[in-house]
Amino acid sequence: MKLAGIKSVENAHDESIWTAAWAPATETRSALLLTGSLDETVRFWSSDELNQVGTPSGGHALGVVAVAAHPAGFLAASASLDSFIRVFEIDSNSTIATLEAPPSEVWGMQFDPKGTVLAVAGGGSASVKLWDTSSWQLIATLAVPPPEGSRPADKTGSGKFVLSVAWSLDGRRLACGSMDGTIAVFDVARAKFLHHLDGHYMPVRSMVYSPVDPHVLFTACDDTHVHMYDAERKGMIGAMSGHTSWVLSVDASPDGAAIATGSSDRTVRLWDLSMRASVQTMSNHTDQVWSVAFRPPSGTGLRLGRLASVSDDKSISLYDYS
Amino acid sequence: MGIEDPLKSLQEALDSDPSNPSNHFNLGLLFWRKGEEAGGDESKELKDRAAEHFLASAKLNPSDGASFRLLGHYYSRVSLDVQRASKCYQRAVSLDPEDFEAGEALCDLLDASGKESLEVSTCREISEKSRRAFWAFRRLGYLQVHQKKWLEAVQNLQHAIRGYPTCADLWEALGLAYHHLGMFTAALKSYGRAIELENSRIFAFIQSGNIQLMLGSYKKGVEQFRYALDIAPHDISAQLGLASGLLGLSKDCVNSGAFGWGAVLLEEASTVVEAGTRLTGNIFSAWKLHGDIKIAYAKCFPWEGERICHEMNEEIFSSSISDWKKTCHLAAVSARKSYQRALHLVPWQANVYTDISIALDLIGSLEESFTADTDVWHLPEKMSLGGLMLEGANSEFWIILGCVSHSYPLKQHALIRGLQLDGSQSAAWAFLGKLYRILGDKKLARQAFDHARSIDPSLALPWAGMSVDSSDGKYSVVEAYESCQLAAQILPLPEFQVGLGMLAASSGQLLSPQVFVAVRQAAQRAPFYAESHNLKGLVYEARRDYDLATGAYKCARWALNTMRNADPAFKSCLTDVSINLARSLCQAGHANDAVRECEALRINGTFNAEGFQIYAFALWQLGRNDEALVLARTLISNVPTMERRYAVAALGLVCKLIYFISGQHSVSAVIQKLPKELLRNKRMGFIVATLTALDPNSQLQMLLSSLLQTVKSHDAATELHSIVAISKMMTNGQILEIENGLKYLRNVLHVYPSSSLIRNQLSSLLLSKEDWMASERAIKCSLAATRDHVNNGLKSAFEIHGAVRVACYAGGATCPKFSFSTCKDQLMQGTMTVQHLQKWLHQEPWNYKARYLLILNIYQKAREEKFPQYLCTTLKRLLVAALSQEIYLKESEQCRYQKFLLLLCASEISLQCGDHIGCFNRTENAIALAPSNSDLFFAHLQLCRAYAAQDDLLNVKNEYMICLQLKTANLIGWISLKYLESRYKLQENSSAVDINFQSCLALKMNSKSIWGATFNLVCAQCSVHDQDVFHAEETLMGVCAEENADSCLLLFHGAVCMELARQQSGSQFLLRAAASLTKAQENAPVPLPIISALLAQAEASLGARTKWESNLRLEWFSWPPEMRPAELYFQMSLLARQPNKGSNQNSNVELSQSSEKWLLRAIHLNPSCLRYWRVLQKLIGFMKQKSPFYDLCLLICGLSHVD
Repeated sequence: MKLAGIKSVENAHDESIWTAAWAPATETRSALLLTGSLDETVRFWSSDELNQVGTPSGGHALGVVAVAAHPAGFLAASASLDSFIRVFEIDSNSTIATLEAPPSEVWGMQFDPKGTVLAVAGGGSASVKLWDTSSWQLIATLAVPPPEGSRPADKTGSGKFVLSVAWSLDGRRLACGSMDGTIAVFDVARAKFLHHLDGHYMPVRSMVYSPVDPHVLFTACDDTHVHMYDAERKGMIGAMSGHTSWVLSVDASPDGAAIATGSSDRTVRLWDLSMRASVQTMSNHTDQVWSVAFRPPSGTGLRLGRLASVSDDKSISLYDYS
Repeated sequence: MGIEDPLKSLQEALDSDPSNPSNHFNLGLLFWRKGEEAGGDESKELKDRAAEHFLASAKLNPSDGASFRLLGHYYSRVSLDVQRASKCYQRAVSLDPEDFEAGEALCDLLDASGKESLEVSTCREISEKSRRAFWAFRRLGYLQVHQKKWLEAVQNLQHAIRGYPTCADLWEALGLAYHHLGMFTAALKSYGRAIELENSRIFAFIQSGNIQLMLGSYKKGVEQFRYALDIAPHDISAQLGLASGLLGLSKDCVNSGAFGWGAVLLEEASTVVEAGTRLTGNIFSAWKLHGDIKIAYAKCFPWEGERICHEMNEEIFSSSISDWKKTCHLAAVSARKSYQRALHLVPWQANVYTDISIALDLIGSLEESFTADTDVWHLPEKMSLGGLMLEGANSEFWIILGCVSHSYPLKQHALIRGLQLDGSQSAAWAFLGKLYRILGDKKLARQAFDHARSIDPSLALPWAGMSVDSSDGKYSVVEAYESCQLAAQILPLPEFQVGLGMLAASSGQLLSPQVFVAVRQAAQRAPFYAESHNLKGLVYEARRDYDLATGAYKCARWALNTMRNADPAFKSCLTDVSINLARSLCQAGHANDAVRECEALRINGTFNAEGFQIYAFALWQLGRNDEALVLARTLISNVPTMERRYAVAALGLVCKLIYFISGQHSVSAVIQKLPKELLRNKRMGFIVATLTALDPNSQLQMLLSSLLQTVKSHDAATELHSIVAISKMMTNGQILEIENGLKYLRNVLHVYPSSSLIRNQLSSLLLSKEDWMASERAIKCSLAATRDHVNNGLKSAFEIHGAVRVACYAGGATCPKFSFSTCKDQLMQGTMTVQHLQKWLHQEPWNYKARYLLILNIYQKAREEKFPQYLCTTLKRLLVAALSQEIYLKESEQCRYQKFLLLLCASEISLQCGDHIGCFNRTENAIALAPSNSDLFFAHLQLCRAYAAQDDLLNVKNEYMICLQLKTANLIGWISLKYLESRYKLQENSSAVDINFQSCLALKMNSKSIWGATFNLVCAQCSVHDQDVFHAEETLMGVCAEENADSCLLLFHGAVCMELARQQSGSQFLLRAAASLTKAQENAPVPLPIISALLAQAEASLGARTKWESNLRLEWFSWPPEMRPAELYFQMSLLARQPNKGSNQNSNVELSQSSEKWLLRAIHLNPSCLRYWRVLQKLIGFMKQKSPFYDLCLLICGLSHVD
């Protein structure tokens, strides 16, 4: 397997690009890349050509920290530092809902595979908030219990800051990663906390479940490692080292054979899961790579694997994955 | 073969004595070394052989540490048997704890295998075993530093440093330990030592920089970081350190008001941080620092429009303002972005949320576009709440929320919550006070401010808050001004500064330098605000810098134009600024422009009384007198309706205009028509007084006297009186009637005894009066020489004192060493004057008058002391300095006279120093300058004396004739001439001088008798000089007959009489002498020497023995002890030999010692006087004592006989 650069767009945003997500193809258009940036906009890019589609979508007063696309490809949500989540229609760029959370209580986001629930990492609230995607009402708050042995009722909040969420393939499990390195796994149907996955000791900024194995969770952490967990059995399957600085983002390839990571060391790495090693390092970015995203497979003509990466250097890169 | 040799010999030695361990060891060592040199397998082979021998040696001598060490090396490096190696090393170290090689190797082995605790215990064990095992201490210290056991580490490291004093690592580790223990100075020293040893210790540089920053000495910290960056230009911690040092430095700058400098520092800081973030973008503190720097930059970037003031116009002004705004805004936006980056990296850091909210708040205030919508969360509020969500117990976050919030209830709640969490948050109290002020609850506001101030008096806001309260009467304007000044000095915010400017304007403090600085800075920081420019203009105007003031007013108007015109106050502001502009234009001499401004105002219909006045004044300046007059008349008609303060000013102006345009009579007419109550003030008082002075017959006379009674202020009243006094002197056409002025001033002084103005004026008038005692009275009138500024051309107290000292001949008689004054009215502060004058000159080195008076005073002193060398040198220097002053190049009468006098002084000094050529040159120069014949007389008199000193009788005669022709009205001139005449037998027409003198004397009003007496004294002296004692006695007799004859005349007369009595043995002369001398004794203010001695002699000759005795005793006391002459001692010895009468023996001074003692003291003082010796001889003979003295006396007397 290998990555090959297809295209790069310099100065795609006015400021650092912090987040990226693919909106799957719909009947009327092919898949779109959504990017969110410090310049307070979300922009849309056509696949392969990386042409900007539509006008930049505003509506945020501070930098955009997360974008998530609905699996059906029509909707997307963007969250900014001021704790507003804007849900909008991708094609018309019209706002569907504005979800407000108390300040500091919004970070990473992901739609569940069926598209009925939006999970939002609750930041300082030490919880994950679940929003119903039809009524846009809060349906559940999954609180992360403090790890065993810690002092209860710490004065300065819970001391936990939930950064990332990931849905399992079947939508039954939800994992969330925190700044102290703990990962909590929930049973969504019963809204119940199952267990912690340990091993990391620094902020876990990105997680993804394997698209082929519902047990396997990949985590990216500031401790420069990528971990592989059996999320169901509370076991750590493996750890992969190679980055020289924080790992900021991880995504799994649709075929489940590889994962890609972006890091503060300004590189994008491709890891072969069978070898559990980095097989390729892309160094085309000149600043830290905040997000990597594999294009979801959809339609018939678009079987080709595509990986996008965005970085602080304001550029977007698109690679061919084969 | 040479190489083989040692091996062979060692092998032989071993073979000969295989049981000697040293043979094994030496051979082993040789193999080991060869093994080190060789490579590959050969090396291993050689080392194997070496090990065999070491093993043998160790077996034979188990106490030899070296063998074990080398074995350890073998096991650890060659055979890689760690177990054995460490055992060998351990053995070596336990045998010799100071074996650092083995010890270090052992520790390295332990370290490599991760046995840290074992390593520590080994080191500790060894360090306990031997104090000299420094390596162990070092190792232990390092390990403890690593384990963060700072206290123990310090001890071990300190001990290790004794063994390795030049090991920079040790010093660095020690510094780190101190650093963590909070002993910053010690840490700084240790780091400094490390740097001294190796100047590339980047860690030491950075750490000491951090400590310096922590201690607040940013400058030193910045220096350290710069060194670190020189070594490692890409070291991120050095970069961040440098940037935060620069930030700290710039904050200091900004707090002291140096905005531009602060901005420059911040620019550098931001480049440094940006370089750092480019290297590593995921350090949140770097981004936060960048945000802080940008925020600071946005808050301190100054508007530099001042620099381009000259070619400034409205367009440039507004563009420069918008440029300035843009820069500030960009900086704030960049700060917001940097904070967001920081937050994105560490969203769990609460303070970054509040940072963002502060940045947002700043941006909002720069954009001025906030909406007061209280329903929706305001973004800055929300972000500061973010901080609170994470750290709810942080009182500062609550205060920040209170500051950024726009809703008053929320503000109040947040501030109170902050105070609940931390009652000592003075800022919270201050903001609460501000909030209550806005809400109008002044009592609560004041309480809050008081709380804040009592917690932290160095907080600016409560002081500023206090100053705002002045309007409701709680504080006076002065208090308000002072507290506002304090606020502006603590924190140079434009709001405070503008407030200070306004308070200064209303309390008349515009000249204060603090206000000047504050207002200028306000214009730099709030250039969009018209008031700051307007105030700047006012300050410049107060400093009489009218061009700059004009510029500032123009800026103010442009700023107003760019503001919203809808503002209701807009129009009145514009009018005020325009009037200010017109006024300063007028004062800057641009009357044309001023008129244009006024006309524009008139067209706009916003023309008030002040504008009117400026208009009239400007018109008059342009020579458009008719228009000005018309305006003036209109103004007068408006006066009654005006506010009193303005009315007076207007009236003053009108009077001035009318005076200059139509003359004094019209002014009088106008004033007479005015209502009386408008005239009852200082300003009009002056005008009326001056007019009366100019026209004594004016109708205003009446008005003036009534005015004088109504003026309340002492200063104003005395000034008025001073003008009136001058007018009194001017009543008689040409000549100043000084006596009238004096009379008036004496009366005034009675009313205002403490007025220095009146006193000085009185003294200067007294000085100009020709009165023997005038000078003395003058000095009594003027207060002690104090520095009060002289603004009306009158003499200062200093000047009066100096002049009096020069004028009074007797003034110098302060030291009896040089002369005994016979003047009854002595100046007690004689020498003080010279000191006062020096003080004056020191205070005002440019003041030529001070220098002039000082020279004259020192000259008087020198003359009195008979021109001692040191005073002559001083005078020469002073004269050179004075004569080179530019002021004497001027052609003014006074300057010429002063220069003339100085030149005469200089010539006299040259004469006294024997420099005849210099004397002639100076005098010639003086002659060229002499303002009048009378002065010329003195120059020629000086020449006369100079020739006399050279015995050039022909020229003396010539000069004498010139003097006679020139004539002078100054009596002392004739007296001096008389002296010269008789000394050098110059008289042809013997009575010429006398006639001239008498004619001059006839003109004198006062002090005739004294001058006459002086002249006669000189005449008598001349007679004595001519051996004509009889004639002299005759002259003196006449003088002494007068009442109050000076004791020196009487003494002279007595002495002359005694001489006559000696020559002619006439007892009538003796009687005359006794009479005169007795009178002299009575008249003398202090006991004069010689009088009593002469009197004693006279009485003795007349046969009155008791009188002789008592007078001799008096004589003893009339001398200062150190100056008593030998003769006096001799006389005392005579006195002591008198059989005493027994009455009050103790009081008789002569009995304090024996007659011989007196005589011996006389001889001791003057051994050359044979008379004493002879008396001594007699005395000793009389006592019939054979003593060595007797022979000596005989010898001396015999010798003198031979002579």
